[in-house]
Amino acid sequence: MHGWMGKILDIDLTHRRVTTRALDMDIARLFLGGRGLGARLLWDEVGAKVEPLAPENVLIFAVGPLTATGYQTSNRFTVSTKSPLTGTILDANSGGYWGMQFKRAGYDALIVRGRADTPVYIEIKPDGVTIHNAQHLWGQRVRATTQMLGQNNHKRNVLCIGPAGENLSRIAAIMNDGARALARGGPGAVMGSKNLKAIVVEGKERPEILDQELFKFMLYETRKLLRASPLTSQALPEFGTAVLINIVNAIGALPTRNFQQSQFENAEAISGETLAEKYLVKNTACWACPIACTRISKTDKVEGEGPEFETTWAFGAQCGIDDLAAIIEANALCNDLGFDTISAGSTMACAMELAERGLLDSDLRFGRADLLAPTLEAMAARRGLGDDLAEGSARLAKKYGAPELSMSVKGLEMPAYDPRGMQGQGLLYATSNRGACHMRGNMLSLEVLGLPKLIDRFQVQGKSAFVVLHQNSAAVIDSLVLCKFTNLAVAEEYFARALTAVTGVPYTTGDLIRVGERVWNLERLYNLREGFTRADDTLPPRVLNEAVQDGPSKGWVSHLQPMLQEYYRVRGWDENGVPTSGKLKELGLDCL
Amino acid sequence: MPAVKLYGNLRRAASAAQVVIAGDTVGAVLQALCADNAALAAAIFDGAQLRAHLRVLVNGHDIELAQGLDTRVNAQDQIAIFPPIAGGG
Repeated sequence: MHGWMGKILDIDLTHRRVTTRALDMDIARLFLGGRGLGARLLWDEVGAKVEPLAPENVLIFAVGPLTATGYQTSNRFTVSTKSPLTGTILDANSGGYWGMQFKRAGYDALIVRGRADTPVYIEIKPDGVTIHNAQHLWGQRVRATTQMLGQNNHKRNVLCIGPAGENLSRIAAIMNDGARALARGGPGAVMGSKNLKAIVVEGKERPEILDQELFKFMLYETRKLLRASPLTSQALPEFGTAVLINIVNAIGALPTRNFQQSQFENAEAISGETLAEKYLVKNTACWACPIACTRISKTDKVEGEGPEFETTWAFGAQCGIDDLAAIIEANALCNDLGFDTISAGSTMACAMELAERGLLDSDLRFGRADLLAPTLEAMAARRGLGDDLAEGSARLAKKYGAPELSMSVKGLEMPAYDPRGMQGQGLLYATSNRGACHMRGNMLSLEVLGLPKLIDRFQVQGKSAFVVLHQNSAAVIDSLVLCKFTNLAVAEEYFARALTAVTGVPYTTGDLIRVGERVWNLERLYNLREGFTRADDTLPPRVLNEAVQDGPSKGWVSHLQPMLQEYYRVRGWDENGVPTSGKLKELGLDCL
Repeated sequence: MPAVKLYGNLRRAASAAQVVIAGDTVGAVLQALCADNAALAAAIFDGAQLRAHLRVLVNGHDIELAQGLDTRVNAQDQIAIFPPIAGGG
């Protein structure tokens, strides 16, 4: 066995039963690992009648054939489940060390099913798998839990939930290595519903590499490309992702005050430049990553990883807050409580608008930095109004009579790009299989940064082909599982050659993109089986109907419908967004 | 005169976040900006062309989709120069 470990670990918490089964290599070759493998396993495991927080839902943690080989950024892993926030198929992925360690424990995937009758944690070690009592950990925050379970980056790695997951917040993340997050869509709530506090891994195995010489050459070539690119060798290490605040604001696409404006007047105060000048301690990296984009920042109250661009936006411009120290502290608190920062910030922004309109009795107002921390605490504990916010913005806005004020797609809060100023990004949000997401492909590269070539961000016709290509590419990178930042400097061709060197299976660039297309279509089939329709491929009324009032995007709304029709055609789907039988046959999905 | 806003490591090279410089095209303004600053010139220009991945906006619109360095500017315009940046996480 080369690349893959050939084994799936299966843990039934209801019956406290641990089994191991062989990885189906036909599936592995078609879906690789990570997101693709998770989607394929979830298709069989969790059908349409399963409620996301019921014991019948599963958590599937998966790595890929390159994971732990030492290939650049081969540290990432995914979790797949049915989302309690959206009801769609969900996968979230994370970096750090845990994924590498899990692969070294000898597995390609872990399926957790059922529900323990009391809180437990799982320990996976070379000498076996144990389910331990976790009563003493229940109620503990992420940092404390991680320390109590003996986190040691290169030997023993901890993945856990915080109080948000324990209390079944639908926007709860699963955290690993202390401050890394499998963030979006509420996987932390699924883990909480299983009474599973943590999974600790220790590994000693190494994935076998078939062609060592070719693999070493690919390591050398990839390193050279990452060093040569000013993006991966200078921009990301020096300023991190928060450097995007100023440019996205400058073009008039930085959603502000719950998408009421598209420029934030105090963007400079929360920018990557200000973060570097005032709060940056150092930067750090995930395992086997030469890019090192992670920020370690410090205020008078906290020191830790982040904040990333999306977090800075969510608690900053989106909430009308220009206090960067408060944003850093909110980020640290989210990490400790176990929240998705995008959904937490945007749900708070939704509550602020509801309150300002008199629909919600609360002191929350745009700009109230002092209320970030207490509101997050209340959300994690489900105390008072926090109980409503813990459900995410869609349920919150609906409860208070204004569902249109949730800036979400399929229930998942939109990230930090206003679709009115980036038309392709709007199409990407509307069609993303897990709800609005910038990591299922991101049109930022093409529509703003000119990578590899700038296209008109207001253009509508012809956009869908770019969106489809980016979505397919993202799906395969998530299945390998690598960091998408490598793709700024390293083309898919290199990933294909590295994969071939490791596994011995000949992959071309076209093969990899086809894997991505297969994964995307399978996820679409899953959502169709759940009852989603073309009507769900939409955007909030605000971005469809309310034109931007000022700035470079003035006068624009999202012109989604013509892009969507074109998108279905490019995808090979019918006019209702259903993959045709020809497309499914072409992708080897006709048997499902 | 047009205002020029600098971002990322260009601020260090220019020792300023914003300057006001005369010129009727983007190219003329940037040449004047770099006239006495070799480090800044090296960060912005590759010969007569802009460096790869550098983004120059006039009032929020990228000059690559206008007339490039020949894009005309007036006294009220704001030019923003971004060094190579990336991200999205």
